[in-house]
Amino acid sequence: MTQTNRIAAGGRIDRSHGLEFTFNGQRYQGYAGDTLASALLANGVDIVNRSFKYSRARGIVAAGAEEPNAVVQLGARENTQVPNVRATQQGLYDGLVARSTNGWPNVQRDVMSWVGRLGGNFMPPGFYYKTFMSPASMWMTYEKYIRMGAGLGRAPTESDPDIYDHMHHHCDVLVIGAGPAGLAAALSAARGGARVMLCDEQEEMGGSLLDSRDTLDGVSSVRWVEQTLNELAAMETVTLLPRTTANGYHDHNFVTLHERRTEHLADTASDAGFPGQARARLHRVRATRVVLATGTHERPLVYANNDLPGNMVAGAVSTYIRRYAVMPGNNLVITTTNDHAYRAALDWQEAGRKVVAIVDARPSPDGDLVRQARDSGIRVITGSAVIEARGNQRVTGARVSAIDINHFVITGRIEDLECDTIASSGGYSPVVHLSSHTGTRPQWHEDLLGFVPGEVKGMIPAGGVAGHYALGETLSDGARAGRQAAIDSGLENVAEIKLPETRARRDGPACALYQVPHEKSALRAPKQFVDLQNDVTASAIELATREGFESIEHVKRYTALGFGTDQGKLGNINGMAIAARCLGRSIPEVGTTVFRPNYTPITFGAIVGRHCDELFDPKRYTALHQWHVEHGAEFEDVGLWKRPWYFPRNVNGKKESMHDAVARECLAVRERVGILDASTLGKIDIQGPDAREFLGRVYTNKWAKLEPGRVRYGLMCKDDGMLMDDGTTSCLGDNHFLMTTTTGGAAAVLEWLELWHQTEWPELQVYFNSVTDHWATMTVTGPDARKLMSEVTDIDLDREKFKFMDWKEGNVAGVPARVFRISFTGELAYEINVQANYAMQVWETLFEHGKKYDLTPYGTETMHVLRAEKGLIIVGQDTDGSVTPEDLGMQWAVGYDKPFAWIGKRSLTRPDTMRGDRKQLVGLKPRDPNVVLEEGAQIVLDPNESIPMSMVGHVTSSYYSPTLEGSFALAVLKNGRERMGETVYLPMSDGRTHEAEVVSTVFIDPKGERQNV
Amino acid sequence: MSDVKEFETRPADTSRAESPLTWSLHEQKSLPHASNPGIILSEKPFLGHLVVRGGAIVLDEAVREVMDMALPAKPHALVSDDSGERTIQWLSPDEWLIIVPGGEEFALEQKLRQSLGQSHFSIVNVSGGQTVLSLKGKWAREVLMKSISYDVHPQAFPVGKGVSTVFAKATVILRRAEEDGWELVIRRSFADYCYRWLLDASSEYGVSVTR
Repeated sequence: MTQTNRIAAGGRIDRSHGLEFTFNGQRYQGYAGDTLASALLANGVDIVNRSFKYSRARGIVAAGAEEPNAVVQLGARENTQVPNVRATQQGLYDGLVARSTNGWPNVQRDVMSWVGRLGGNFMPPGFYYKTFMSPASMWMTYEKYIRMGAGLGRAPTESDPDIYDHMHHHCDVLVIGAGPAGLAAALSAARGGARVMLCDEQEEMGGSLLDSRDTLDGVSSVRWVEQTLNELAAMETVTLLPRTTANGYHDHNFVTLHERRTEHLADTASDAGFPGQARARLHRVRATRVVLATGTHERPLVYANNDLPGNMVAGAVSTYIRRYAVMPGNNLVITTTNDHAYRAALDWQEAGRKVVAIVDARPSPDGDLVRQARDSGIRVITGSAVIEARGNQRVTGARVSAIDINHFVITGRIEDLECDTIASSGGYSPVVHLSSHTGTRPQWHEDLLGFVPGEVKGMIPAGGVAGHYALGETLSDGARAGRQAAIDSGLENVAEIKLPETRARRDGPACALYQVPHEKSALRAPKQFVDLQNDVTASAIELATREGFESIEHVKRYTALGFGTDQGKLGNINGMAIAARCLGRSIPEVGTTVFRPNYTPITFGAIVGRHCDELFDPKRYTALHQWHVEHGAEFEDVGLWKRPWYFPRNVNGKKESMHDAVARECLAVRERVGILDASTLGKIDIQGPDAREFLGRVYTNKWAKLEPGRVRYGLMCKDDGMLMDDGTTSCLGDNHFLMTTTTGGAAAVLEWLELWHQTEWPELQVYFNSVTDHWATMTVTGPDARKLMSEVTDIDLDREKFKFMDWKEGNVAGVPARVFRISFTGELAYEINVQANYAMQVWETLFEHGKKYDLTPYGTETMHVLRAEKGLIIVGQDTDGSVTPEDLGMQWAVGYDKPFAWIGKRSLTRPDTMRGDRKQLVGLKPRDPNVVLEEGAQIVLDPNESIPMSMVGHVTSSYYSPTLEGSFALAVLKNGRERMGETVYLPMSDGRTHEAEVVSTVFIDPKGERQNV
Repeated sequence: MSDVKEFETRPADTSRAESPLTWSLHEQKSLPHASNPGIILSEKPFLGHLVVRGGAIVLDEAVREVMDMALPAKPHALVSDDSGERTIQWLSPDEWLIIVPGGEEFALEQKLRQSLGQSHFSIVNVSGGQTVLSLKGKWAREVLMKSISYDVHPQAFPVGKGVSTVFAKATVILRRAEEDGWELVIRRSFADYCYRWLLDASSEYGVSVTR
């Protein structure tokens, strides 16, 4: 069977370029220029899928994005699987492999269809909820089996070999849709000097002109398309994006376009000959003006069995014949409400096949096309409609009757016509989806019998979407819109362009018909489908309104009308019209549902772009990173930073465990000397005559008397009185301070300072600058720190001259440095700051000299143990946004008597922040020194209390201390400071209960003698 | 402002200095080298970077006196001296970035401070905290369009313009100092991320990295 339905000549396919493809395991041939859908039709494939709910046989209905049935699973390999590809939008390529998304064991003999056939009448909307509602606990079980029978397509189970990326654009005019209106709009805007982007979702630009019977300037309309595209392509200010769907229309004319770059060529970009290139690209466009030229979707009529393969929309028939040289069948019946559908009959007849009849719902149609059809000998049956399609796997006949639209009844004798194809047209629905994304509601247009876009600031609808269906009008409306958009974007002297001549044609008025009456009621008649993809029938909508669903949004959710990947492209207006009829209201009174992005499904890859794998998130490195890597560090993520976590050594050919490495590093600091890369700490340079005053207002403690050369620890609260950050700030000069922040808080603190300066105290003369990356910071700490430092610096390290909480400048390892005597370990410590470009040489010099002192690099884990042993907190670990300085026992760092109120002061005098039973920071000593309590573990006072137990606090930090030779923890505990010496309990999820004694937060050197040496 | 601690951070011997991109280039073993590169990427390391904040009028006077250049007053403006080696870029209404050949920054800071006297201003040396990447080649604009949401079309981004903007998931200062050359001022800690991102975005056009 080779392309039995291919017409011998014509079409826009390349017959010299044959292609092979596989559908449902069967090999077929097609041509370059085919879509998967046109190639399937050419090969006489009637059934392309099984329907979602009833598993009915389904064929191709349309030729574009609105296709509801021919939704396929694409991909030759597991890692190239793409679900939910519309065959009508998939360019054919050699080796293409596709399968139906539904149907088991296959689409020809589907087991589920018997369920649909037998149970169809017993599966009304809400069937699953109504049937499987009890017992409620079984729903999860039911759902598993229901889901097996449902769904469209499947996700690949292997990772995608392709890449996807993003590109940002700005333009004066974005034209969406390259049909006649879009091309005319792009041309007039571009000639006017505008930066223009023109996108179109089809394989080829040109829209309806590619299969039009109309001529332009007396020749085929395709000629004008080619000329126009050539002119546009030659302009530097124009970007043409074919195969690109405008999928989302967001605020302020921000539009996302999804470009398929190699998907039409091969399974992967590599297979297509473009290795390393993006398979699809998401364009993020910010347009000053948007011309919406998305055209229309033809509306099918709703009649019985209108879902049988062989039922199509009339325009698609023309498209397949004229553009793809494919005959969708042999004997055609058309059922229509308007003149436009007559073109399909003329095209069909000219292709040499039989038009059985045109069934027109209007009593006396008389447009030019009607006359032309009659003159060609085509039988026209007026005042009638196809009320039912006959057939099993494919249409074999049409039942036709005269109808009374107003009373919704058939009025005459039913005539049976033999045919294999029924093409229907209920008029056109402008493609308003994108305009609706912005939140605007489409407006009903009684003359057009359709919704047109509501008003969107900066958007101009043009052509079909604005209700201009005649070619001449479409072109001139497009040209007008393009010119207006260029002018609105700020351009002057935008001339009108000369448009090609069209031949005048008189079209008669259309009539309003959506659902066709049947001799039986909707419930008793064979199914009349409204939404083919979601298997929503006219009787389902009737039932929904009978059950009390009056809002169209409720009807939608009850019946699934317009759900899924389809977004109601073919069915929505018909569904609303049926709901309106049942409710006795007009269509505008019923209104529309809301269309949401994306217009057609978009692959996750395109949304993610290159923000994946190693580029998923920035990794921030310090100037010493290479050394850490070379010395075997394990890294910890702190914010975006990669910080050395610990430095495992190889001991007897085996890598140290984390526990062993941290114990070794801790003891090295307590007994000899260790070194930490502290470069990630936030650093803010503060200059100005009011710098000191400003510090006094953002910190809780006092800064008035801090002298140059001195350093002070400060606490920063939010206005709710809760601790937000801490750190040391050094007085460099009377008007010059260096603030340090936590690693994670650096950006937030700088923003906080700017916020208060700019909004509350702009009169204070002070400037802030981040110098986090400029300085590299190394902490040399331990009893031998001074000895080591004395070998590498010219700074006088005498303990009287360079005291704890002093800073000095000088040279370290030949590099200018600021050295701060601050300690986060409780040991003698020097924090060396050097310009980051020179950090590595200083670090390496320290190690050259440090060898004899066994200088030990340590990471964040050891830092945590050492600081916790001293009861020093980490904001964000020991605090959680609900902890005040008083809760931490840091009254000493709160200056209630400062002359100017500081941020958070007022909140600290609220009854809640002053009550006595707040959780307070305490130390915990587990009874079993080998038990390291879990951080986050809840504390109770009575271990035998029944659940739910009274929880009085939780563990915030917990470690094993090699110095204490046992475990210890910090915790917040209600009334904690009054519970010193008491025993508390920590019940664990595994049933064990740990015991711990409440102790001071300072476990080592409570007087601070070790850091003050 | 007086009572500010000036500090020369540059050692006498700078032979062992490491620029922010040192780690990335070291990791790469051999530098990318396309036969017909559409993108040429290079670092301009070890330059002097000063962030100057204050009122435009007093700063303009000082800059004219000390550097013989006018302070760019218009938003997003970037000016350079005749040699092209010294640039001043508008960053925000009270903030400018001065970039000079490495080693000049401390003397320049001192002279500016002297000239500015008791006015309210700040000068901060950030030379170790950031570096300049040069992006050239036929496809430079496309690479930027993949990375930056700001409009880089020549009509919107002429020579002599610079902006602070979002770059992928980081921020950069983007500037166009010459017709076919872009500069990105990137923070030290984000340098590796920005460099990898640029290499990735450039790969389809062919990329060479030069020292």
